[in-house]
Amino acid sequence: MEELKQKLKEQIIEALNLQDTRPEDIKDDAPLFGEGLGLDSIDSLELMVLLERSYQIKVEDPREGRKILQSVQSMAEFIKSKQPA
Amino acid sequence: MKGKYYIQGMAAISPQHTFEGDLSVQPMVISNGNMLSCVEPDYKAFIPGNSLRRMSRILKMGLTTALRCLQDSGIETPGAIVTGTGKGSLQDTEKFIKEIRDYKETALNPTPFIQSTYNAVNGLIALQQKCTQYNNTFVHRGFSFENALLDSMLLLHEGTANVLAGAFEEITAEHFYIKSRIGQWKSEHISNDTLYKHFSPGTISGEGAAFFILGPSPTTNTYAELAGLKMLYKPSPEKLAASLQTFISHEEIDMVLTGRNADTNYDQYYQVVDQQLSGIPQLPFKHLCGEYDTAGAFALWLGAQLLKTQQLPAQWFPMLQQPPAKLRNILIYNNFFGEQHVFMLLKGI
Repeated sequence: MEELKQKLKEQIIEALNLQDTRPEDIKDDAPLFGEGLGLDSIDSLELMVLLERSYQIKVEDPREGRKILQSVQSMAEFIKSKQPA
Repeated sequence: MKGKYYIQGMAAISPQHTFEGDLSVQPMVISNGNMLSCVEPDYKAFIPGNSLRRMSRILKMGLTTALRCLQDSGIETPGAIVTGTGKGSLQDTEKFIKEIRDYKETALNPTPFIQSTYNAVNGLIALQQKCTQYNNTFVHRGFSFENALLDSMLLLHEGTANVLAGAFEEITAEHFYIKSRIGQWKSEHISNDTLYKHFSPGTISGEGAAFFILGPSPTTNTYAELAGLKMLYKPSPEKLAASLQTFISHEEIDMVLTGRNADTNYDQYYQVVDQQLSGIPQLPFKHLCGEYDTAGAFALWLGAQLLKTQQLPAQWFPMLQQPPAKLRNILIYNNFFGEQHVFMLLKGI
């Protein structure tokens, strides 16, 4: 799980071009939107694309997406839940 | 031409040092390989970091030039935003199209798609300056900027207090290659300072952004009056000569800024100007900015700059033997690969 979260942080920084942010600046449970990283609605679409391209997970329901993209922790838990045991 | 139109502020990002500082001391930037790229400023001084991270190069260039132009004029929110671009954001368009191919039309990033639309720069300017007025982008190849100018003049004529008019264009390695396949660029590799010594088919590519605040009356900051604009689509040399004759008389012009680009395919048009306006000093500008759809905007910026400062940067124009004693009226003539031809007349204040 820790490895996945670290990888996710690196992928988020690269996908959203967060130039002045390092992986260690992103706390596992800090909100990605609004406060925290201060991402916006276009970023949420970019993160959906990231999930689809890197983890082959397609989020069909936008309401579900809101919960998944709350934090790095929630994203990692969602990815884990979709991966075969 | 009905009405009066004055340039009250302007800014340019180009392959030369045109964005800030004293023009007369800036050396000519020399590039090899037939492709001129812009000298870009530090965008962080103009655009918040959180917005900057998502923008591609042309968006940063266009928005920053527009903001610098507004600063120069002292106007925060213009009465209208009107621009022209031949290709818009090529970088985003290429990225988006490649992703369609690579990901088989699924999982596409929204950002390059949004920014690949031609009016993305206008939208960013409007958002940043909170301008909810008229907003339009013209995409008509070599007439893109000139149609934006024409629309701006009509708006001023109808009573708009001022208009932010501009143009932006970028070149990418991919687009350079595509256009080289149809012979737009010279087959021999040259540097821009030797352009006019290589009289052969094709020219050198370029890019740039230039913005202007246009108003209906002069101010203390006014650069020049835009006193004439004429567009001709694929004219014969005879038609071009006749149009030039009706556009302006020989006696009225102190200098011609010419879009001559050492391309033998279309030099016959520039020879018309040579014959018709013999004896009047001509300054070419394509060795400074290269060839692109909206190079006319660079010429307008350069002409207005020369009229205001009454100084010709000698290091940029080594071909000029005898500069005119005083610059009052400058004629700009440009054509885009022989198709779109433009005359613009600038008058000093």
